[in-house]
Amino acid sequence: MDPTAVKLLSVGLIGSIGLMGPALALGLIGFSALNGLARNPEAGGRIFTSMILIAGLTEAIGIYALIIAIILAMVVK
Amino acid sequence: MAKTKRGCLGCSLPVAIIIVVVLLALFLIGFIAGPVGQSLFGNILPRWLSVPEPEIELPANVLFYIFGFPVTNTLITTWITMVFLVVFSIAATRKMKIIPGRMQNLFESLLGFVYNLCQDVAGEKNGRAFFPVVCTVFLFVGFNAWLGLIPGYNSLTLNTAEGVVHVLRPANTDFNTPLAIAISAVVAVQLYGLKTLKFKYVQKFFNFGRIFKSFGFLFKGKVMDGVIELVTGIVEALVGFLELISELVIHIISFTFRLFGNMTAGEILLMMIGFLVSMLVPIIFYGLEMLIGFIQAIIFAGLTLIFLTTAVSHHEEEHA
Repeated sequence: MDPTAVKLLSVGLIGSIGLMGPALALGLIGFSALNGLARNPEAGGRIFTSMILIAGLTEAIGIYALIIAIILAMVVK
Repeated sequence: MAKTKRGCLGCSLPVAIIIVVVLLALFLIGFIAGPVGQSLFGNILPRWLSVPEPEIELPANVLFYIFGFPVTNTLITTWITMVFLVVFSIAATRKMKIIPGRMQNLFESLLGFVYNLCQDVAGEKNGRAFFPVVCTVFLFVGFNAWLGLIPGYNSLTLNTAEGVVHVLRPANTDFNTPLAIAISAVVAVQLYGLKTLKFKYVQKFFNFGRIFKSFGFLFKGKVMDGVIELVTGIVEALVGFLELISELVIHIISFTFRLFGNMTAGEILLMMIGFLVSMLVPIIFYGLEMLIGFIQAIIFAGLTLIFLTTAVSHHEEEHA
């Protein structure tokens, strides 16, 4: 196949399939954080801080996919 | 005296309507002058209202050479951040009072936040010992990200031999700065672990104690015990080796790519939004970028703190 077509197709696939996992994981993090907050509103500060930290770690996986897409799209001729 | 009618947000209704109309007009002008409006309506607005198409390049551009050492635009922004932090610290601690003035209060709240985080995670004594490293990482990464949003970064250009380059570029978007901070953090973790636990820290990675014990069993004739100990010893040695690779290699890679990816994606997003709709909409994305910069600084510093804590804590006996 044409190399440009393959490159564009792969960038599109990275954007759609690669970013599904982190999105799902972040939704699960929010779900569990809200569950814990509803059961125990007093621990709200600690739950929120932990949630932000874990969300940042999970977001990094999505960023790895984004880096691959950027490198493919802009650096590879 | 008659009270003005309290319309929306405290101003009277005519003033609110004027403000909304002005904002809407700005948004429409920005939309029409951008590429979407130009493809719909043609070039009806003058040239100075539209933004040229941004060229995104990942490696940093070299501005000039000092004795053969290339000085890139991100290196200059790193120097600016360092000077800013030093000046800010000196200005905040010059005449310290018990009831602090405004600058000292701001500085105290920032440091107090990081200090409470250190003590929550690492305990009293260790928190005090880890505070300088963690706070340096937090302040450097945070102010690199925040200072990169001031107008002037990514807009002032210079004509060098390779074309038109930006003079200032946010420091975290160059791959080298997150790599340098990550290497410093990982080296600090290993040094603290070695200093506190001395030989037992190396034993965490090279775990051959069980294999030697199994040889002792085999010599004494207890074959069954010896074989079991040998197998578990080999498994433990492999786990220790895996932990070594995870500590040294994977932490550096994940630290670097997390910070670099977030900051580069944010920079590209801001450039694209500024290109598409040049007025009013970038404000929302500036807010998002400020939040992301702050969160990334907290994550970097918090992860360094957690790795320091686990490196210093004595390994309890996990296997009964």
